[in-house]
Amino acid sequence: METDRDDGRSPSQLRPLSCARNVLHRAHGSASWSQGDTKVLAAVYGPKAGTKKNENPEKACIEVIWKPKTGQIGKLEKEFEMILKRTLQSICILTLNPNTTTSIIVQVVNDDGALLVCAINAACAALVDAGIPMKHLAVAICCCLAEGGYVILDPTKLEEQKMRGFAYLVFPNSVVSVLPEGLSHVEGEPMEHGIITSVTHGVMSVEEYLKCLERGRAASTKLSDFLRRSLQSQLPSDSSKAA
Amino acid sequence: MGVPDASGDLSSEMEVDAFRHLFPLRYFERHLSESIRPDARPLGRARDTTLALGAVASAHGSALAKIGSTTMLAAIKMEVMIPSTESPDEGCIAIDFHMPPICSPIVRPGRPAEAAPVISKQLSDTISSSGMINLKELSLVSGKAAWMAYLDIYCLDADGALFDAALLSAVAAFSHLQIPIVSLNDDGKIVLVSEEDEGAKLEKEPVNKEKRKLKLSSIPFSLTCILHKNYILADPTAEEESIMETLVTVVLDSSARLVSFYKPGGSFLANTSAVQDCVALTRQRVKELQEILDEAISGMEID
Amino acid sequence: MASTGGGAPGTYTPTPTKKTQRSSFFSDSDVDWLRPDGRGFHQCRPAFFRTGAVNSAAGSAYAEFGNTKVIVSVFGPRESKKAMVYSDVGRLNCNVSCTTFATPVRGLGSDNKEFSSMLHKALEGDLPVVISCASLALADAGIMMYDLVAGVSVSCLGRNLIIDPILEEENFQDGSLMITCMPSRYEVTQLSITGEWSTAKLNEAMQLCLDACSKLDKIMRACLKEAASASLD
Repeated sequence: METDRDDGRSPSQLRPLSCARNVLHRAHGSASWSQGDTKVLAAVYGPKAGTKKNENPEKACIEVIWKPKTGQIGKLEKEFEMILKRTLQSICILTLNPNTTTSIIVQVVNDDGALLVCAINAACAALVDAGIPMKHLAVAICCCLAEGGYVILDPTKLEEQKMRGFAYLVFPNSVVSVLPEGLSHVEGEPMEHGIITSVTHGVMSVEEYLKCLERGRAASTKLSDFLRRSLQSQLPSDSSKAA
Repeated sequence: MGVPDASGDLSSEMEVDAFRHLFPLRYFERHLSESIRPDARPLGRARDTTLALGAVASAHGSALAKIGSTTMLAAIKMEVMIPSTESPDEGCIAIDFHMPPICSPIVRPGRPAEAAPVISKQLSDTISSSGMINLKELSLVSGKAAWMAYLDIYCLDADGALFDAALLSAVAAFSHLQIPIVSLNDDGKIVLVSEEDEGAKLEKEPVNKEKRKLKLSSIPFSLTCILHKNYILADPTAEEESIMETLVTVVLDSSARLVSFYKPGGSFLANTSAVQDCVALTRQRVKELQEILDEAISGMEID
Repeated sequence: MASTGGGAPGTYTPTPTKKTQRSSFFSDSDVDWLRPDGRGFHQCRPAFFRTGAVNSAAGSAYAEFGNTKVIVSVFGPRESKKAMVYSDVGRLNCNVSCTTFATPVRGLGSDNKEFSSMLHKALEGDLPVVISCASLALADAGIMMYDLVAGVSVSCLGRNLIIDPILEEENFQDGSLMITCMPSRYEVTQLSITGEWSTAKLNEAMQLCLDACSKLDKIMRACLKEAASASLD
């Protein structure tokens, strides 16, 4: 059932990842994230005093602004903003800085498939760079369902258009610190099996969705390792700057 | 009142009300531990759902859907367009979801609701990817004229599970849709064939005499659930949505295929078994909704 | 997917080949024409009111006059963000929106400035219904008021006065008059006149409106009483 992809990858092979933090000097935190030719820049400003209207002032408020590569934002971008906002809200510790707003500005540099996923990973790295308190990290992955029911990961734009359906999935990364038994397992499953965000397009059977979940989970471990490694490797430069 | 005495020490009605406002989460959890919700529903039960077809006289197809007190009014207006060169045999559907200020205290005049464009997008994604409507059926004259179906959905009362009610009203409006009879005149414009002309002296043959109704295949239905600790609450109210934040919307079509599994953020409670539980609840709900829709349609045919 | 609304090509509503003539239901000189819905000249459409239409609002009402359907919600009273200093008067904020399918030709987004005057024009006919319904919603919300407000309009077509005109009739009218009043206090709160009127006609029209207002008021009061007695049970 193996399939040849245009760029010669195996179905569950991701494109080359790269992540750089502290790329913008005026922002409180920033990161660029790329998966193959898809590249997204994220900047974090805040926490600033006060929350927006209709937000709970007893918690920190997260605001996401999506900047497309060209043109104005439409319904699609509004949906991306909402998904990003809800996803980031669920990984940040909102009770630590009540009545503040943290803005995350996401700038698309190039879109070659799996855009939302790339943006979530970038935003997550930028939040770490800005030192915003977080419960854990999140890793996002795009799973595509090709004709014949096999799953391919991290599609390019061309592949995305050919596919029958796809799912954007966000998982919590595996925690290395020691947690009480109840916290790291939810109903007997390790916590990194839970989904933070799921957005699907196209019709698929429930079994096919579960297959996507399983493949996505497997790949998210790799992604999460990469994220942790790239965040750690840049730590010394940060501390020298602080000194 | 259907409120069971979940807080033994707080006896009078007033104090229960105060408790509800001051400690909403604890108030709800006290209920949940007894497997009941404050509105007397079991956890997995959706609210009473009603559907009325043909609520708007000035539209070609319309429906009013109510899930509990969440109310949606959907209406379709058909207009003629020139199809694009890539797909000369296809019509088009434009879906817009509106939240006017009457629907909720959160929506203020002059400041459009943030949720509205997102639900709009979700609805058009769901309807287009479910393949419910064959866009070829909307074609009138190949390459020259096709229908543009404008579907506008208005939220009249927002009390949770907005997407579910909006999708129900949308599919109901499409099943009520009666396409007007039109013909092509000499200038290449589409004109309406009025009721009186329809018989004898027709100088131009109608182009769509056979295509007054759309054939809907695999209709999508949805159910929104709240995941909280190890509870799954089906069809939440606005109050429940504001207190417990992890929402999952599952869309299944009538042949039980998954059209969408939508979970925008929230805690990571959705492990495999929770996913399967949500899908199972939705399967049940799809059956209910299909019956409600069939009933509404057969009610219309008797008239 | 071609089914997205963005960048939609220009569309139009197909119309019948023959334009409907003014004379289809209306003949200039005589009195023996029928209104399109078969009502008498001085007969209003059946009015239906119901309070408590919107659950999430503090007060709300639904009104149905023939095919005109209106929902009004009242939210508040809440803290005013605009008032920086102490104020001993409250503010009433009104907002009217019209669905895109409310008119025979699909309306354009109400945010479109260019069309807002057109929208206003289109709404004119429904204004008395909106006003009556709004006063009922305020009453439902428990906002203190001097009296209920009932609104009725009269159109002048040739030599005839017709009460509570529908859109089709308004398109051919020579003049229109709208009165909103507080019937128990016998006070007029708003009076608007457009078009050509003789003094005698004007007097007749005003009397017609005021009579209709007091009848409308009875229906509205009956609706409130019904709601109040239902909630007592």
